[in-house]
Amino acid sequence: MALDPSTPVLVVDDYKTMIRIIRNLLKQLGFVNVDEASDGTAALNMMREKDYGLVISDWNMEPMTGYELLREVRADDHLSRTPFIMVTAESKTDNVVAAKKAGVNNYIVKPFNAATLKSKIDAIFGEPS
Amino acid sequence: MNQVGGTKTKRKPPSARRKAVHGDNDHSVTAEITLLLNTLRELAAIRSTAEDAAARILDSAEGLLSLADKEEAEKAQGAILEIMTACGFHDLVGQRVTKITETLDCVIANRLTGEEPVRAKTSAKTGSEITLEGPSHSTAQDQARIDALFREKN
Repeated sequence: MALDPSTPVLVVDDYKTMIRIIRNLLKQLGFVNVDEASDGTAALNMMREKDYGLVISDWNMEPMTGYELLREVRADDHLSRTPFIMVTAESKTDNVVAAKKAGVNNYIVKPFNAATLKSKIDAIFGEPS
Repeated sequence: MNQVGGTKTKRKPPSARRKAVHGDNDHSVTAEITLLLNTLRELAAIRSTAEDAAARILDSAEGLLSLADKEEAEKAQGAILEIMTACGFHDLVGQRVTKITETLDCVIANRLTGEEPVRAKTSAKTGSEITLEGPSHSTAQDQARIDALFREKN
């Protein structure tokens, strides 16, 4: 199942620099419909207003972290199938395992490059990376 | 997470430390706290400088990218994307500075009160029972290790 480039993508990060970077990378991959949120609470509200085909979220944000957002999304019948990639500096094995158990589709450690982002998106949507 | 304060074997009891804080060492403690507050100001400046630098680099890279689009210069696009992703240093610098700042906050609070330092805020931002540690010191191996974890079955 390839991801339609017109599918809305939500990028969640409290650092505007990171949002800008990811937005530019997504643009290069053909995604033109990219929205942004600065924490989990804002993202969750946006997801309840609009259908997103992919969420790319940081973990360490306040007041709602990316992990809490993930759990809220997976617990919500209408949102639970939304593909979710965590992009974070958190690399402790316990945390990665917790995110995996919570239902994250893929996990990228900062710093990362364009090829890593593309390969993780491709992996979720079944395209060769 | 950083442990703030001395080791168990060398640590004085709280009452003794309070006496030290409020006794003859008042001047040296004041000087120490001033030093720490200056350090916090320097860290805030580092974070601000990093943010400004990242924004300026991104401005330039976005400008170059629009030119590269027009000329279909694939190699130029690749190089520009590398510049852009490198700007993520701002995020990592910010997270590391935040950890240091929180640790120094604990030290200052400890010096002022003589009480046991409270745990740094970063480690308390849990989102349930999970402790966050911020950037690690071995990111090159991290992605490969995490990819392996994701290949494992639950």
